[in-house]
Amino acid sequence: MLKVKLGDITFASPITVASGTYGYGNEVEGLAEVNRLGGIVTKSVTRHPREGNPLPRITETPSGMLNSIGLANVGVEMYCKEKLPFLNELKTQVIVNIAGSSMGDYLETMDMLEEADGNHIGYEINISCPNVKEGGMEFGVSCEMTEKLTKEMRRRTSKLLIMKLSPNVTSITEIGLAAQDGGADAVSAINTVVGMGIDVEKRCVKLHTVFGGLSGPAIKPIALANVHKLYKVLSIPIMGLGGIASAEDVLEFILAGAHMVQIGTTNYINPNIGVDILQELEAYCTENGLKNILELKGQLNS
Amino acid sequence: MSLREISRVTGSRKIAENTFESTLHAPQIASLVKAGQFINILPSGDWPKVMRRPMSVSGTEGDNLSIIYKVVGTGTEQMYSWAEGDEVDIIGPLGNYWADFSKTPIIIGGGVGIAPIFFLHNTLQSNNIEHYMIMGSRTANEHFLEHDLPAKVLMTTDDGTYGIHGNVVAAVDTIAENLDLSDTKLFVCGPAPMMEAMKDYALAKNIECDIALETVMACGIGICQGCSMEYVPKESKESSYREKYGLVCMDGPIFKAKEIKTCYL
Repeated sequence: MLKVKLGDITFASPITVASGTYGYGNEVEGLAEVNRLGGIVTKSVTRHPREGNPLPRITETPSGMLNSIGLANVGVEMYCKEKLPFLNELKTQVIVNIAGSSMGDYLETMDMLEEADGNHIGYEINISCPNVKEGGMEFGVSCEMTEKLTKEMRRRTSKLLIMKLSPNVTSITEIGLAAQDGGADAVSAINTVVGMGIDVEKRCVKLHTVFGGLSGPAIKPIALANVHKLYKVLSIPIMGLGGIASAEDVLEFILAGAHMVQIGTTNYINPNIGVDILQELEAYCTENGLKNILELKGQLNS
Repeated sequence: MSLREISRVTGSRKIAENTFESTLHAPQIASLVKAGQFINILPSGDWPKVMRRPMSVSGTEGDNLSIIYKVVGTGTEQMYSWAEGDEVDIIGPLGNYWADFSKTPIIIGGGVGIAPIFFLHNTLQSNNIEHYMIMGSRTANEHFLEHDLPAKVLMTTDDGTYGIHGNVVAAVDTIAENLDLSDTKLFVCGPAPMMEAMKDYALAKNIECDIALETVMACGIGICQGCSMEYVPKESKESSYREKYGLVCMDGPIFKAKEIKTCYL
């Protein structure tokens, strides 16, 4: 009832977890039933290890949080050595998120992951990190660069290729079309929304980098709008994300046109949220006579 | 490994000015948690925010664990309104814990940092480890323990209304009158200025010192990378992960004073 396909890959449900909110899966051991998720998207992996941005890196906002972590991660070599063996044991589908600062970075990282003995079924390409100068944003805001990178990556892998789009652009649909033209299997939308926090008492900014990425329920309406815009013009599927915290939110994204979803910030208060909502989604399907949840996709009444 | 447990509130009481203690029936976590570790609390079932609230455990008794907090924001306001029998979703035990008591411990707490120090006090007592405890506050009504020098329990107040007049450094100096500090080890948790002062003191006098840091935190399990602290620079490779910045949730909350660049997070 919840089973979905993306490319040739079958997922037990359309529910996956967003990059950066689930580590590499091992961190939630004992706290979540990882294998009951449709899939997990790993924390971004880069060509070299990254120490991340100076502190403070996070701050809470109404119904959300601002972060500026700066892609702190172990790097692809350590990922293959230390993280991959655990991920290979998982029964859920694993999508590796790749971030980079240059074409070479992205492609080398992908080459190393392709050569590694990993069971991952695809890649999500972060071309939209707002928090580091070299976070791939120059790719994410340019149709030409997005298409070029997608093409280069497409040549290198037969696994799923998902381009992660930013809402911080003039036209997300143009970038989405560029990813589609480049040969992506899907796009995921949206990455965080650029935001800022100010401490009046200290008269200073709340994040060291001044600007950060806003996530959580606060951005759900923005995410829905972007998913719907993409759904109107793209022929490839969309993984929707941005503020999902309940079964109802998942249904909203599917109605807006999402094929699958990712749960992000809500994992921080409930690492098992992606499993907790499955029963409710199944019940919804049963009550509404749906054989598969994707019968709802884009089915908004006028 | 940490686990998630639906605990039950067994009691709450005011122990000092704007200082409260709540006890939670949480058999699994209570049996595992050690002094210095913390739990990450979902203050209510319909919590509208996106972060839990990390709290150091202040003690355990059988299947119960307790926390001590000051009401400072929406999270602690919610906790203050807990009624007996309420269910509270907690994740724990998290982080590292106080260890190595081979030198005489001088344990020092202040403000919101009294919880892990109080837990350490009880742990040391039950293991018959002789130690000194210092608690610092601004004024008398913020204290809930008795100043008792012969019992090696020292209270300080900034305004001199109770115990030793001055900050916790003055209390350490009092202890130093009869004890060679090089045979001691400091264990510190409190407001940032207090921890920073003790760090400088320990480094200047070359005394071993462990400090439990506090900062804003989201996941508590090393995923979000938000609760960073900065290490004193060490020779390091050009690009590194968790060498320049550590994570308070999993590399800490306890760090050695000499490796902490600043306690202001």
